[in-house]
Amino acid sequence: MRVASLAFHRKRGFVLIAMCACMFLLLASMGLAFDVGRIYIARNEGQVFADAAAMAAAQQLDGSNEGFTRAVAAAKNLPGRWNMAAETIKGVKIEFSKDGERWEQDWKSLKLDPSEIHLARVAIDGNELDITFLRAVGGPNSFNVPAHAVAVSQPVRLVE
Amino acid sequence: MTTNRRGQRGHAMLELAVSAGVLLTLLAGTFQFGYTFYLYNKLVTAVGNGARYAAQRTYRSATTQDLDRGVSAIRNMVVYGDPQPVSDAQPVVPNLTPQQIEVNWVKADDGAPSAVALAVRNYSVDAVFHSFTFDRRPTVEFPYVGRYAPAEREP
Repeated sequence: MRVASLAFHRKRGFVLIAMCACMFLLLASMGLAFDVGRIYIARNEGQVFADAAAMAAAQQLDGSNEGFTRAVAAAKNLPGRWNMAAETIKGVKIEFSKDGERWEQDWKSLKLDPSEIHLARVAIDGNELDITFLRAVGGPNSFNVPAHAVAVSQPVRLVE
Repeated sequence: MTTNRRGQRGHAMLELAVSAGVLLTLLAGTFQFGYTFYLYNKLVTAVGNGARYAAQRTYRSATTQDLDRGVSAIRNMVVYGDPQPVSDAQPVVPNLTPQQIEVNWVKADDGAPSAVALAVRNYSVDAVFHSFTFDRRPTVEFPYVGRYAPAEREP
């Protein structure tokens, strides 16, 4: 009787430990699904904005010096939201290039004639997504969700 | 001894009931949020594609019917992924209708469009256990880079 009672007590302890381990794993995988799902949404929202901002910037490149100032303003002033449209897009950086090899934020550093520069690249690196669940199981507190897109100043018109 | 076993069985049933309740609640929550995120991601892609299409489309506004046709094509692009969908086309996101897509042209001083803004209005995700409604999100604005043809009619 005493042996049986001891075995019963040991089983109860095992179930408790097994349950704790399973719950930890379950909560961790739930947290992973939740947080990674939000990261994917944020990434998609950032990418759509980057595409639009690159088009807005490239549209302003007309071969004049002022075109670059207008391009930066057009991309930075474009309204964009992320994190399920709860926050405004932050950290928008605009760079220019002639051939896609060398990129500069200040077009004068390229030492080229303005009419030779047709490419605009928009990079977003300020979207820091707060991690909700994964931080509880040792994950990061936040996750940077970058996006970038390139557009040319003479876009091919796909729809006429 | 028999009473003790019955007691153990009762304990096991109770533990199973409690843990199954907790586990099912967690699974339902995971499904709800997972499915909602999945659909929202699809909405973002659809609205982005529609806005890109609208930004490159020729703007024809000879009559109000032409404007409406243009808006209708943009809405169809968002909802069906095709400006002129076949009659039995299925929406890319379940239960999304063209009427739920808001199309706003941002006009310059000369009346030509400078940008186009698209938003989804009152879309409800039915995640079985709970429903989430998105109003004015996702929203996307693209600069207009298409051809401005105010005197032309839609083909």
